[in-house]
Parts: sequence; structure tokens; C-alpha cells
Amino acid sequence: MLEILGTIGGNILGLPGILGLALGMTTRRLWLGAALGALVGVIETLLFAGWSFAHVEPLELMIAIVVGVGAGSIGSLIRVKGATV
Amino acid sequence: MADSPENRGWIRRLWSWIWTPAVAFSSGFLILAGFLAGILFWGGFHWTLELTNTEEFCVSCHTMETNLGEYRETIHYNNHSGVRAICSDCHVPHEWNHKIKAKIMAVKDVYHELAGTISTPEKYEAHRLSMASAVWKKMKASDSRECRNCHNFDYMDFTLQETRAASEHQRAIDNNMTCIDCHQGIAHSLPPDYLQTYQEVTEALNAETRPTHQQLAENGEAIRSYLTSGAD
Repeated sequence: MLEILGTIGGNILGLPGILGLALGMTTRRLWLGAALGALVGVIETLLFAGWSFAHVEPLELMIAIVVGVGAGSIGSLIRVKGATV
Repeated sequence: MADSPENRGWIRRLWSWIWTPAVAFSSGFLILAGFLAGILFWGGFHWTLELTNTEEFCVSCHTMETNLGEYRETIHYNNHSGVRAICSDCHVPHEWNHKIKAKIMAVKDVYHELAGTISTPEKYEAHRLSMASAVWKKMKASDSRECRNCHNFDYMDFTLQETRAASEHQRAIDNNMTCIDCHQGIAHSLPPDYLQTYQEVTEALNAETRPTHQQLAENGEAIRSYLTSGAD
């Protein structure tokens, strides 16, 4: 349980959370924001696995993607709510 | 007039203020202010995080006294070169996401300090093996990542090492072993029966990562089938 919470926290304060949110804020399309966040989640996991799929842990990849999707979606919602353009 | 701005609660007024377009500030001002606020926030956050990496912070809890005493007897504390590895050097990863994960997981240490789980020498000894095996598991799974922040096979000059150390390090390279495979108890005293527990830890990890005999057999069958069909 702590392992999962730690991984979620690490991703929220890492690239999927921060860059995912920032990329999400560049678009009003929710699906695009979520997709960009998911992409950051995949890239971040690969980056820390030395660009080797063999070293990727499925649970870590899944959590990174979920956090990325969440952050990207929130970013898009912020764009929708907080910008007129 | 129940819905007038004056009658709304402060949370609703704050929420409304956040989402109302700024008319008094230019975009450049807002970007610059946000950038500066970001630097201050991130710098402060990182600085605070680094403070939790200091030895003073780690041993400020009563339950860490035993660990500290044992560690002070080891070469990582006192040595001829004057280089010292403190708690965080071995227990906190350098990479950002691994570090945050370790920091969040360390919340359990605060809980156990408050709960008094290892508050007496007897309780400490009762938990020594489980605490040690948890660290071994992490180190084995990460290929002794924190050891390798300072130590690296590539940087070792075996001609300068003792014969036994040089041959063991060569054996470790040849057999794809990791630091913790041999160096358990390098900084803290070892519990009885530690070797058996370490073996269980490694076997459990191998079972998680290695394919089962069934999977190997299926993979072999698939390769054979592919080669046979290719020959046809």
C-alpha cells in the first residue's frame, strides 16, 4: 500500500503530474490533454527504466499513465474554466 | 440580495476571484509573478526536502539511537579517507521520482516512532530482522542503486584491492551479483539467521521477475512452431 502511495506521490510531483498539467493547459480538448498526460507518463517511466521496456514495472507504468491522464485532464479543465481563448 | 458578493462565504469569493479574468495586471506581469512564485515555491520545497536528508534530522527520533550507535562503529562513518556516508546516502535515492517515493514511504517511520514499535532494546531486536529484510529487498530490487551512487565496478582498480576482495568483486561481475548480495550488515548489526532470510528475499524477488517453467515451456514451443512453419 505504501509502495503504491509513494509511487503516486512521486508521479504527482514528477513529470506526469507537473508536465502533464502544463501540457493539458495548452488545449481545451479534454481527450487531448489526457492523451498528452498519458504520453508523459509513458516517457517518464521509460526514462527512469533506462529506455528499456524490460526494466519497466507494469504497476509503475500504469500509475504514471493514470496520474498523467488525471493531470492532463485537470490542465484542460483549467484552460476551459480559466481562459477565454 | 442573498446572492450578492458581500453575502457569499470567503471560499466562494476566493473561488470566484481565481476564475475572474485579471483586468488590473498585464499578461507579462502575471507570467513574471507566476514564474517568481514558482521559483520560490520549488526552491523552498526542495530546500525543505534536503533538510530531511540530514543526519541530524534522521537521528532526531529516539528510536534511531540504536542505528546511529551501530553505524558510528563502521567504515562508512569513520575512515582514513575522510569521506562519510550519512543515512540518506544509503537510504534515499537521488533520482527525483524514487526520492519522493522514499520520502512518502518514510511516513511509516514517523508512525512507528509515535506508536513506540521499536522504542525499547527488546522491541528493537524483535523487529531487527524484518527491518533489515525490508531494506535488503529494496536494495536487491534496485540493483543496490544507492550503493552505486559512490561505488561502481567500473571505477574499481582490482590491483589496489586485497586479493580476496578483488576476486570476489570479479565473481560478482561474472555472476551479475549486486552489492547487497555480500555486504549485508555493512552499516548496522546483523540479526541471527540473516542469511536464511536474505535467501528468502532473493528467491521471492526472483519468483516475481523470472518467467515460470510453464512460461518458458510455452515460449519454447512457440519458437519451435515458428521455426517449423518457416521451414515449410
